[in-house]
Amino acid sequence: MLTSIKTNEFAGSESKKLAMMYFRVAIILFGAQLLMGLIAAIQFLAPNFLFEVFDFNVARMVHINALVVWMLYAMIGSVYYLLPDETGVETVGIGLGKLAFWVLTAAVTVVVLVFIFIQVGPGKESTIWLINEGREYIEAPRWADIGIVVVVLIFYWNVFATFMKGRKTGILTVLVADLLALAGLYLAGMFFTDNISMDQYWWWWVIHLWVEATWEVFVGALAAYGLVKIINAKREIVEMWLWIEVLMLFGSGILGLGHHYFWIGTPEYWWEIGALFSALEPVPLVAMFVHVLYDWGKEQGMAKAEGKPGNVVKNGPAMAWIVTNAFGNFLGAGIWGFFHTLPQVNIYTHGTQFTAAHGHLAFFGAYATILVGMMYLGVQGAYGVERMKSTFKSKMAIVLITFGVVGMTIALTIAGYEQVLVERAELGAGWDAFFVAQNLPWYVQAQIWRTIMGVITFIGFVYLVWDLLTIGKEAKAAQAA
Amino acid sequence: MANENENLSVWTSISFWRRSAAWVTGFAVILLIWLTFDTMGQISMGTDADLQKAVAEGKEINRVPAPTVINYHIDYKMSKTRGHEVPVIGAKEPFFGKEWSPKEAAALLHLGKLTVQAKNCMNCHTLLGNGAYYAPDLTKAWLDPAWQKGGPMQAMTNTGTTEEAMAKFLQNPSQYPTHARMMPNLGITAQEAKGVVAFLKHMSSIDTNGFPRNFSKTVEQFKTGGTNAH
Amino acid sequence: MFGLIQPFTDVNHSFFGFLNQGPLTLTIFLHTVIVLPMIWIYFSEKKKLKK
Repeated sequence: MLTSIKTNEFAGSESKKLAMMYFRVAIILFGAQLLMGLIAAIQFLAPNFLFEVFDFNVARMVHINALVVWMLYAMIGSVYYLLPDETGVETVGIGLGKLAFWVLTAAVTVVVLVFIFIQVGPGKESTIWLINEGREYIEAPRWADIGIVVVVLIFYWNVFATFMKGRKTGILTVLVADLLALAGLYLAGMFFTDNISMDQYWWWWVIHLWVEATWEVFVGALAAYGLVKIINAKREIVEMWLWIEVLMLFGSGILGLGHHYFWIGTPEYWWEIGALFSALEPVPLVAMFVHVLYDWGKEQGMAKAEGKPGNVVKNGPAMAWIVTNAFGNFLGAGIWGFFHTLPQVNIYTHGTQFTAAHGHLAFFGAYATILVGMMYLGVQGAYGVERMKSTFKSKMAIVLITFGVVGMTIALTIAGYEQVLVERAELGAGWDAFFVAQNLPWYVQAQIWRTIMGVITFIGFVYLVWDLLTIGKEAKAAQAA
Repeated sequence: MANENENLSVWTSISFWRRSAAWVTGFAVILLIWLTFDTMGQISMGTDADLQKAVAEGKEINRVPAPTVINYHIDYKMSKTRGHEVPVIGAKEPFFGKEWSPKEAAALLHLGKLTVQAKNCMNCHTLLGNGAYYAPDLTKAWLDPAWQKGGPMQAMTNTGTTEEAMAKFLQNPSQYPTHARMMPNLGITAQEAKGVVAFLKHMSSIDTNGFPRNFSKTVEQFKTGGTNAH
Repeated sequence: MFGLIQPFTDVNHSFFGFLNQGPLTLTIFLHTVIVLPMIWIYFSEKKKLKK
């Protein structure tokens, strides 16, 4: 991946080179996310660790912001990567795109450094503008918000202009519409109000309508592209599935927003709306899972029937990550989300480790997996190899990371049960109740397991980076031989 | 369902799914916007006049009351008609030793909300259940027995009211540890601390449809080995 | 009837609150108005395909 900076396999596609630039920053931020997560996990067990030096709120803020930003980087990278393939023309305005990349990267660096070294500010508007907006997931200060909007506008313009110029595939039609919504929603998180209910109402427009609507559709489009690219899936079938997914994802996800409006001061009618619409959110995720495996089996079967030897998969690790995505999305977003989406359950689980368990498996299963898959596709393209097989390192990476994240999820789910039953159900959610539950032996044990599983995830990440840096070169050498 | 002639089946027609997707998405968005307008009306902050009327008539008018709610005693009680606990705004009580005019109360709440964001409270605590899970939920923190008269926090901070105990704690949290996991010193000034307490008191008066349930009713029972299952 | 149809108890009256007075009445109503027009889309597509 690193040597691909110098490679000229992308000669003629500056768009793909730009995609690789985005992927590189994404993987660095992924590492930062894991390190911050480890610090925060240790603080659960040893609260004196870095106390009043690098407190939990800082570690946790960087943990979740690095997550969101690396995913956005990898998403932008993925779009720049697939754009020339889908449109059949080179991306328009690539110079501007590169400028936007450097502006965004500089801004992200400054924001992270300010988060780490300045951390918090006085209770004034200037803090909101310059240091920290203090709203989970979208803490970036207002100046950076405006910068992000400008950069995203440039990106969107490039995508839109290229779309208009080239071939208009179904995958791209979905992407272009989805990206507009995704970018526009960010604006809902860019204002200040004294009214905390109003604050949370609009905050969820950004968070929910991103991760449970527009990001999911984005993933559907990426999976469609990936299947065409990796196993030569038939475009008509892939695109038909994509429209079905859009129908079901938006149909359930948009009003599924209601499941965040049970307890924030909003009217009782949201109980019903949130409950049933969000309960249907797993349905499209099942569809995506079936679709990926079905297509894979079908293409392999057809190849066999035609007497073609070997595997239809042209990129082993990318396919492995896409299959993990199909399964992880259903399990993490679908099942773990459904666990606590009904108000009768959620009144007790809302704001406990249950949510953390769901968050870990859903972000990993639904997004991290497919974006890593796109990085492998990028490496394959960068080295211009026909076939890229999984290496030992690829396998170690996917096995350890998946095992680690699933382990963390199970540990946090157990911690969540403990917390829900004792703090919420038995003791009624007060200050003392919180700490009684936090000190339960089985809760503490679960937090220990979470930390161990976090370390395993990190080891898997080291293998992943190592593999991304070397697999292309090895595949090329194998092809030459 | 599928027709024998494959070309005639609507179920495998891209155009059918595309049109359906466009309809469902578009209509869901319209519904969401309509619902948002309706909800906006219901969660806008009430006025001081609404609040006085609500107290006089003993019924809830605004889900999110005016900032002057800090001048009143707030409780959280089971409502038989609603089927869950609701905030109950009672008689007037001084807040930091005085009654706050609508203008003063609004300014104090503004400072409080700004401070809550500037100090990044949400990445340890939860507000209305949203945030991080490292520290207690603050939705009804104002009503927590730990901070009331007779609770440990007033004794520890050597204060006589909930607001003073909270304000003193917030300025020097690691001086008043309650558990191994402590709140760090975030440089909160005396004025900012007052603002944060006003924010907390105001938040406790918001109608959260009964979240959290059975708030802090049974801590003492649990500690003495008691149970609710009589 | 079986305590399923309940009087309106929420703080403020509204159109959606009015629909929300029984078991899942509001959400079933919304799902129905979203899904029903798809039947029309289905038959209009079928007509197009037959041509």
